Amino acid sequence: MYKMWEIMERANTGPFCEADDFNYKVFMPKMKEVIKKYDIKYDPDNPVPSDDDLADRIWQAAVEFFLEVGVLNVDTHRRIMVDEAELKEALYHAPGRFLVGDGKDTRLWESRRPESTQPPFCIFSPDITCDEELLLPMSIAYVQEPLADGVCGPILEESMGLKIKSGAPTEMAGVVEHAMTLRQAAKMAGRPGMFLVAVGTAQSDAGQIAVSNDQWGVRHTDGRLIGALTEFRTDNELLNKIVHCMQFGCFIGCLSGAIYGGYAGRTEGATILEVAYHLVGLTLYQASFQNSFPFHLHFTSNSGREMLWLVSMKHQALSRNSRLLSTSNGFLNAGPGTEMVLYEAAAHGLASTVSGGHLWEAAPTHNKYRNYATPLEARMSCEVGHAAARQGMTRIQANEIANQLLAKYEDHVADAPKGKPFQECYDVRTARPMPWYLDMYKKVKNEVAAMGVEFPY
Amino acid sequence: MTTLEILVKAVMDGEEDEALVAAKKVIKEGQAVETIIEALTAGMREIGDQFARMEIFLPEMMMAAQAMKAVMGELEPELQKSAMDMEKKGAIVIGTVEGDMHEIGKDIVITLLQVQGFEVHDLGINVNALDFVKKAEEVNADIIGASSLMTTTMPNQKDIIEILKEKGLRDRFHVILGGAPVTQEWVDECGADSWGENAGKAVEILERVMAERGK
Repeated sequence: MYKMWEIMERANTGPFCEADDFNYKVFMPKMKEVIKKYDIKYDPDNPVPSDDDLADRIWQAAVEFFLEVGVLNVDTHRRIMVDEAELKEALYHAPGRFLVGDGKDTRLWESRRPESTQPPFCIFSPDITCDEELLLPMSIAYVQEPLADGVCGPILEESMGLKIKSGAPTEMAGVVEHAMTLRQAAKMAGRPGMFLVAVGTAQSDAGQIAVSNDQWGVRHTDGRLIGALTEFRTDNELLNKIVHCMQFGCFIGCLSGAIYGGYAGRTEGATILEVAYHLVGLTLYQASFQNSFPFHLHFTSNSGREMLWLVSMKHQALSRNSRLLSTSNGFLNAGPGTEMVLYEAAAHGLASTVSGGHLWEAAPTHNKYRNYATPLEARMSCEVGHAAARQGMTRIQANEIANQLLAKYEDHVADAPKGKPFQECYDVRTARPMPWYLDMYKKVKNEVAAMGVEFPY
Repeated sequence: MTTLEILVKAVMDGEEDEALVAAKKVIKEGQAVETIIEALTAGMREIGDQFARMEIFLPEMMMAAQAMKAVMGELEPELQKSAMDMEKKGAIVIGTVEGDMHEIGKDIVITLLQVQGFEVHDLGINVNALDFVKKAEEVNADIIGASSLMTTTMPNQKDIIEILKEKGLRDRFHVILGGAPVTQEWVDECGADSWGENAGKAVEILERVMAERGK
């Protein structure tokens, strides 16, 4: 379905609305209304709930919210509205499966259901920036991970020593360096056709458009992330990227992060909002998939108790009511090289997988510090996710394990250890983890296994 | 509860209509405007503290700020009659830097600053570095606040400092940076004066800065 023309038109002709009115008169009252109408209530005792009816009510609340609020285009001050029939049409036609990547590295990515025995599709991503000289070894470290169905590489802050500035020539240079290096890493690791989601270095539309190239850049078999502005907003630059990606032919991923404590309120509202963002992705952004990173306003993470509930319920709502592909993007409090980050990664991977989600792992250390991420945090999430799916773990079992994992770290969400940067956790020359970190990984994995996760290896 | 207490509670609860009714009543009762303002300011300070303690979040805080704004409009004629000097703690020009469309963090800081009695000039999002400086000169600001959520828009924070230096204005303004990727290292590299690890910290820093400047 090619509906970009409708979206372009509505971005200019939808109901006029100023930003403050959108927040106070449209968004916040409607959110309050649907939370009450659909009786959505957070239950802190059960971070991975098993309430199908609640999941379906969250879905209904999100649909009503999306249809009545629309999305504000901050450039034109217009609300882009979609009607119910159009949404139903889009949901009916959502394929629910894609072949991504190329050649022997092609992967089938299919929608899941709660408690599905089909393993999650796993995208490994550090989600942070890195030193320019670490770009290649760090990228190699990620692309060589056995469970990686796709990789989104680290982001550059500098190119040839120059600070990259969005919209400036340094960005044009940096995005090419990013795209070429990530593909080079995949080729060096023997996975030349790997599904890559790139390039995070490009903030501007021009930067994204500059790297679309099947020979050396982002291929049509790869993915792109196009963000929604918080909360429930977009702009012309983002819509420009969508028009380009649709015509280039790559897979569009809508990037959304509902804020716990933001305009949607607490757990209940942020859960509804994050589900509603998927409808924005499907209709306005023509997205093939969604990368979903709801986060806590104060901690910038989603591994705390209230956030695991949010993560679990949004995936249950989505996977029970649609075939939309959604990756659950872990934002963790602790940093690499700590036991805490591995417990958090396990909990996030577990809650997401048994709820019907796919995985996009992981951003440690509140997604804040340059070089503070390694593939081992992602590996923990994805190994737990694969194991839970393969053994047919129920949400009830996962809930018990999640509570045990939370007991290991939830008191330290606010003062989580920063850990160590990539170059202290990995041998940069070989792109392999240091023995001490690998030992720590094995210790935590054994503890998680003792809780009931049956790892295949 | 006294009418004044009802007014303060309505403002803190973000009940704008109820607050306006109470405001009219409290004026009619002959309460001194200075007393009303003092009670409302204490209430809003408590709102800021509750936000910092995570007892309330953005919707509650924003609704309280909206109600406060409406009540202040209602009190304006009384303020003029009493010739009360609503002294501001300091003036800040604030915005999200060019290329960056994120505004929630900035808006939280703005609300907290207003609650604490600062005069805030919000330039919005996607603001060119020179526009920060021009506005700060125009309104004779004490502080420039620049927010950036993206690593690739952070260099625009540094541009503000560079322009201030070029114009010989660097010492005139306290420059505070904000945004998720901002660290002390970046502040040092930029030559900025401070950064707010979160909205509450930013306000604490700026209150201290203004106290040192004698405001």
